[in-house]
Amino acid sequence: MSNAPHWLEVSITVDPELGEAVSEVLSRFVSGGVVVESAVRYNDAEDEGTPYGPVKVYGYLPIDEHIEETRQKVTEALWHLGQIQPLPEPSFRTIQDEDWMAAWKQHYRPIPVGERLLILPAWIAPDRGETRIPVKIDPSMAFGTGTHPTTQLCMAFLEETVIPGQPVIDVGCGSGILSIGALKLGASHALAVDIDQAAVISTRENAEANGVLDRMEIGQGSVSEILAGNFSLKQAPLVLANILAPVIIRLFDTGLADLVSPGGTLVLSGILDTQAPDVLLAAAQKNLKFVEQRQINDWVALRLIKPA
Amino acid sequence: MAKKLKAIVRLQLRGGKATPAPPVGPALAGHGINIMAFCKEYNARTSNRAGELIPAEITVYTDGSFTFILKSPPASELLKKAAGIEKGSSAPNRDKVGKVTRAQIREIAEIKMKDLNAIDIEGAMKQIEGTARNMGIVVVD
Repeated sequence: MSNAPHWLEVSITVDPELGEAVSEVLSRFVSGGVVVESAVRYNDAEDEGTPYGPVKVYGYLPIDEHIEETRQKVTEALWHLGQIQPLPEPSFRTIQDEDWMAAWKQHYRPIPVGERLLILPAWIAPDRGETRIPVKIDPSMAFGTGTHPTTQLCMAFLEETVIPGQPVIDVGCGSGILSIGALKLGASHALAVDIDQAAVISTRENAEANGVLDRMEIGQGSVSEILAGNFSLKQAPLVLANILAPVIIRLFDTGLADLVSPGGTLVLSGILDTQAPDVLLAAAQKNLKFVEQRQINDWVALRLIKPA
Repeated sequence: MAKKLKAIVRLQLRGGKATPAPPVGPALAGHGINIMAFCKEYNARTSNRAGELIPAEITVYTDGSFTFILKSPPASELLKKAAGIEKGSSAPNRDKVGKVTRAQIREIAEIKMKDLNAIDIEGAMKQIEGTARNMGIVVVD
């Protein structure tokens, strides 16, 4: 790889309605296709994110002997379009050609969680002398890569609540990170369920990468499927649910508390601090006792016990 | 897992032909997305439509994970096909390069309906007509 810039990036921020026309203009000149990026905002607590505001259209021009000419043509074509509806000036910047396959990986570092765990992607080897227990999770087509506060809160609680030799149930397992962490901390086996098939696949891959697949039961479903006896476990002394507050509240109605053995612990995460009172109220109605709340930014995790 | 969206990235790619080169590389690397995983998955899902323009809409979550769906071809692509032209006008305000009928606009609006932010078919048709105008394509009855 040389250090010379190889690409000229052209970008322009426009109203969503104009996105298509600008894309069409750029696509005549760029290498490959154009990219349209929208920002998101959250309308309510359950909203995962809704596209919002103007869009940014990007294109990439290979830098060759015609680049000045091409740049001129792009500017002209956008000017003409601007005669119909006003457009802002496009921005240009040169970018280095790099190993894109590796570039994205630079965003990741091992993440120490709690006192004993270390979350790291598969391509990073733990440092020599590292005493923390590694949990390998590749950022990929699922969720729960360990960088999110809700996962970190849950992992920290796990260290204190996993009973070696006893099973755990993980409702809404995502990448499987919590079940894998529990097994590495000594749990005998884990039942991990998610309603999303992609999560089930991802959990299986991650369990294999961490060498714990033989101690895991992974399936598609939620609380009602577990209670219906679809899996080998109906109850465990430790139950984990890192979902979202409104979903957790609904799961209480379908029997979330019944999954916890008498005297056992329920760890809940994915809750914004403002939603915690509602979750605690729903838990109290099911006779669960509040033990502890922990917080990172505006996310909280709750530790509850079921009286013996 | 509490998934929260960070951004939505729409890439116009040719079926079966995604590679880490631009635009994919620079568009996704900044979001910390596993580029090879995306290319592999996109190419697998579009292998039966190789060479066709099939946009992928990628939802990027705050933790670096992502999902994506395939979208219908861009309206501009469908309009070019309907008007029988290779590309839009380079000066759409001045030079008109083709014609489409209102019936064709309706057909395209129906295809694009699920991807457009339109309440009804009339609203979708207005958006498609706007795109046509911006490309120097005249809409006739």
